[in-house]
Amino acid sequence: MTAESDAALLVELRDMWTTYDPPPPDLVATMIAVVAAADLDDEWEMLVLVRDSADEPAAQVRGLGTSRILYFTAAEGWSLDAELDEGQVRGQLLDFDGDLRSVEVEVETTDGQSWTTDLDEVGFFAIAAEPTGSIRFTVRYRRKAVSSRWVEL
Amino acid sequence: MSEDRRTEGQSDLSPWDMASGAFIAWRQGDAGAVDELVAAMTPVLWHVVRAYGLDREAAEDVVQATWLGFVRLHRTIEDPQAVASWLITSARRGAAAHSRTARRATPVQDETLHAALPDAESAEALAVLDDEASRLWGAVASVDERCRKLLRVVAFMDRPDYQSLSQELDMPVGSIGPTRARCLAKVRTALSRGGER
Repeated sequence: MTAESDAALLVELRDMWTTYDPPPPDLVATMIAVVAAADLDDEWEMLVLVRDSADEPAAQVRGLGTSRILYFTAAEGWSLDAELDEGQVRGQLLDFDGDLRSVEVEVETTDGQSWTTDLDEVGFFAIAAEPTGSIRFTVRYRRKAVSSRWVEL
Repeated sequence: MSEDRRTEGQSDLSPWDMASGAFIAWRQGDAGAVDELVAAMTPVLWHVVRAYGLDREAAEDVVQATWLGFVRLHRTIEDPQAVASWLITSARRGAAAHSRTARRATPVQDETLHAALPDAESAEALAVLDDEASRLWGAVASVDERCRKLLRVVAFMDRPDYQSLSQELDMPVGSIGPTRARCLAKVRTALSRGGER
């Protein structure tokens, strides 16, 4: 028998099992609830972009005309300040109520590049990187990961 | 049994494509995409788990444990295209572990058990009500348990992962392909004995 006829018979068998031994009608809904209840929302909390120097050029009080300054907040109360300038991504985690040494910051671009770093004892980080395209920040601590949406540079 | 038997509204996209697409979207921050992933893969996981002979309640528990494991470990999945395989392998391991534990449980006499069971039609009995399905179901029922298990798992997998299948089904890796072909041939022979096909 050919591989084709084997495949056709397997399709018939799959249909038979699908028809006569279907999952319980509410199984999918139950599993969606299970996943949602497994602290997933916390793990994937969003960092919300609340300030972007590209939108408010007048706010460039630091006198760094070339830099891009981004400010994110998380629902838990802390925030992330980031500055992209001359091949450096620098920033600080603010109002973070936890062990700063256990925090990792990741900078990603849509073309697949990523840079990860730890924070110093007061929450600063600096990465030598010149991301292009769109960028996203992820802050990881304990088992949580909090990501921002993609921000176009 | 053909296209018209498929669930209404089913997408043309295979569950594997839907799963990897949803997983990628979720990792990129689309929180709602995980629901699509769960919706696409839960029915597949159900059939994979049921192949191990678990009753419906136990099967539901194993599917749930699979999703909880996924929530805990999703960051270890390096290739988003492999999310379906990861889930299926995890569900199979859970089902195999559960059936090993269940085998160690004290057996109960059929007569005792019968009185305690709900009076519902089994999937097999329902299938017999449909003539065409009855022939196919009968043919599958006539092959040995290992064949039935292998065929059901393989039927719901896009790209069978022979390495881990071999451990759970206690077969050498190299014999899974030929065994699958032999099992299909047995079903075909049983069908031809049972009538024209």
